[in-house]
Amino acid sequence: MRLEMGNFPVKDVIFGDKSVYQDGILTINKEEALAVVREDEHITDADIVIARPGEKKRIVPVKEAIEPRYKVDGGSNFPGVIDKVERVGEGLTYALKGCSVLAVGKHWGSFGDGLIDMSGEGANYSYFSKLINICLVADTDEEFERYEQQKKNRAIRWAAHRLAVYIGSIVRDLTPEQENQEVFELEPITRRSKAVNDLPSVVYVMQAQSQMEEIGYNDLVYGWDMNKFVPTFMHPNEILDGALISGSFMPCSSKWSTYDFQNAPMIRKLYQEHGKSINFLGVIMSNLNVQLEQKKRSAIFVAQMAKSLGADGAILTEEGYGNPDADFIECFVALEDVGVKTVGLTNECTGRDGQSQPLVTLDEKANAIVSTGNVSELIKLPPMETVIGELQALARDGLSGGWADDEKLGPSVKEDGSIILENNSMFCGDQIIGWSPKMMKEF
Amino acid sequence: MKKAILYINQFFAGIGGEDKADYTPEIRAELVGPAMLLNQLLDAEVTHTIICGDNYMGSNEEEAVKTILGFLADIEFDIFIAGPAFQAGRYGNACGVIGKAVKEKFNVPVVSSMNPENPGVDMFKKDIYIFPGGKSAAKMRTDMKQIAEFANKILRGERLGSASDEGYYVRGIRHMVWREDEQPASERAMAMLLKKLKGEEFVSELPIPKIDRVPVAAPVADLSKATIALVTSGGIVPVDNPDRIQSASATRWGRYNIEGVDKLGNREEGQFKTIHAGYDPAAADTNPNRVVPLDALRAYEKEGRIGKIHEYFYTTVGTGTTEAEAARMGKEMVEYLHNEGVDAVILTST
Amino acid sequence: MANLIPVAKTVGANRMVPTISIPYPLGDPSTPEKEQWKLRYHRVGVALTALETPIEEQTVFEVRI
Repeated sequence: MRLEMGNFPVKDVIFGDKSVYQDGILTINKEEALAVVREDEHITDADIVIARPGEKKRIVPVKEAIEPRYKVDGGSNFPGVIDKVERVGEGLTYALKGCSVLAVGKHWGSFGDGLIDMSGEGANYSYFSKLINICLVADTDEEFERYEQQKKNRAIRWAAHRLAVYIGSIVRDLTPEQENQEVFELEPITRRSKAVNDLPSVVYVMQAQSQMEEIGYNDLVYGWDMNKFVPTFMHPNEILDGALISGSFMPCSSKWSTYDFQNAPMIRKLYQEHGKSINFLGVIMSNLNVQLEQKKRSAIFVAQMAKSLGADGAILTEEGYGNPDADFIECFVALEDVGVKTVGLTNECTGRDGQSQPLVTLDEKANAIVSTGNVSELIKLPPMETVIGELQALARDGLSGGWADDEKLGPSVKEDGSIILENNSMFCGDQIIGWSPKMMKEF
Repeated sequence: MKKAILYINQFFAGIGGEDKADYTPEIRAELVGPAMLLNQLLDAEVTHTIICGDNYMGSNEEEAVKTILGFLADIEFDIFIAGPAFQAGRYGNACGVIGKAVKEKFNVPVVSSMNPENPGVDMFKKDIYIFPGGKSAAKMRTDMKQIAEFANKILRGERLGSASDEGYYVRGIRHMVWREDEQPASERAMAMLLKKLKGEEFVSELPIPKIDRVPVAAPVADLSKATIALVTSGGIVPVDNPDRIQSASATRWGRYNIEGVDKLGNREEGQFKTIHAGYDPAAADTNPNRVVPLDALRAYEKEGRIGKIHEYFYTTVGTGTTEAEAARMGKEMVEYLHNEGVDAVILTST
Repeated sequence: MANLIPVAKTVGANRMVPTISIPYPLGDPSTPEKEQWKLRYHRVGVALTALETPIEEQTVFEVRI
């Protein structure tokens, strides 16, 4: 499978009469873009706001992030979600680099939503503070979930996906610079050269979020809800090219946004080492479950596939913490038991005091782990000049790292606009997808 | 100038060896034994030396701690140093016991030093800063210097590094830090995997800690006379959540009367629901007995299989809840359970 | 009573009775009420047996339904 990516670096995003990309400046005709957003009548109110790195802006509640993309040959960008179900991961895809489309609630937040600060100390906590964020700030008529802590956030998330494709389409008739073209290609596993075959073979095992039994909250693969899913072998290009869509459930710092899937740094690293130090076999896509038997079943499937594919090693990663740690350790042990040397990639929950057990299940066989953060680290941040969305959502709406009141700490949102929260609510903050420059240390 | 206090045993105070190990606690407003050295090295004045026999501390711990805390009640000090205790086991224990007590009572930093073989290390490394020290008093100067350098850092209000940066024994306290080299997790994972594949040494960023063991409780002698309580971490509460228990990272718990109630009514009936944000609430909201099995336990009560069900069920939320908070809430619940004659508990989790 | 027995073991529980899932430990909503009741009654019964059984180490008590 061969995927060509044509990248268009974005230096700034502005509004103008005509949607156009020139010399790194992306101009968006706001009315045209909002018309795409409003194709869904459930969107009752919408605006687009730009937030650039270094600006004194705080964005909350953030529900999703997407890199603007466009399939040049007319294929599906997000199959089974806003486009028809067809294979992705091959052909030519254009991408606008250095920016992302954010789905932001105009008022209402939910458990899995997060916060991004574009400058100051808070900017350290999210990868997205480094990007130019095209914020779709919207409200909907989804009354059934308005006051629910768990929200599907369907209208806003899908609108953001349409907006990402609209913005991607701005470069449809352009040709990317030679230096901005990338090729992702893996030969079929049985057709690789001896030189490649002689290298240690490695699979990447991803445990995507799928704990909600009701449809509409989980990650989607080709539009399929991953709660009703058993582990499957996937080509890494499918993941880089829109086959995986982020969900709306997990505490935010542990989440993988759609932007994370599209840019998965672990996949890029494995590609980089392919043919040099490893033979990158591909991705075993797995899930996270709410029954011990389901967890065991998934681990059995994963270990069998890894073994049958001839994997010598695996990198195993989970989109979550707490109960998902049981899936993670179960799978880690299953892989080690069939002789696949495994490295885990996860965050921890050691509590505000740092003294809690880092994962809810432990096993001596999980002897190689890269750790990306502590979900319950307590963070205090000063007020920001501008808030995009609604600051009160952090305290009022049950975000995983915020609270309406606390005997010792008071509410998460103070009168002067300063905030106190757990790392849990930093937007995709622990960057388990592979970006995290954070680790854990003993104090 | 900031003020410090040093704790030493009878031997280092020059009072005597094994024969004087029963020496009762004493405080002197002067520099005794190693206090002179500490005073030279420290950017603070060592105002008092506390002396206590190791055996006295070992066999009369409660009394000794009470006396020493009494000595300190009216004294101002910024830091407390204990030892160094080298490889002396009873001295290490004494430094740990008093260090922990002083830290808890006065909330001042406590620093000590012990040889890795000293049993005091494992007993107290979580409670106070302990540096790895030499085997015997021959290392007094080196060990005291290490204590003093770290203590000076604390006194200057400097940002303290991790256990490995500073050199003290790890305490099981893990916090998030930003790597100076900013190396992303993807590269770290790749490098670790290559080493593991080649059979080379690597360092896991999450060493698996030893698993806690809990003493096994004796069985209930006669269930038909026993009072059984229901406790849950599944977040089942009256629909208005009167105790405002948090739906994640809980610090609060509640107990709710179920006297004469055959089964828990559901959310729609305005009775009970779950506020736990870590799982799909639909099944628990429709029938809370799926999480707190009152209906089934009531049936056993009617059959006479158990004596009776305790008048309250106890509840909190177990998602993101830290071990420290969970342990505190558990202890608080146990106090009620004990006082109200509960013999056994069925604890359900989600 | 817990579904995630590995978690219960890790935190040091000594008498353990498995339940069927995280969101519905004692009654699968997709099955008839009668079956749910049978399962709940049975497993709570096993928990009572566990309470009166002497044990030496961490023990998972077997359930039939």
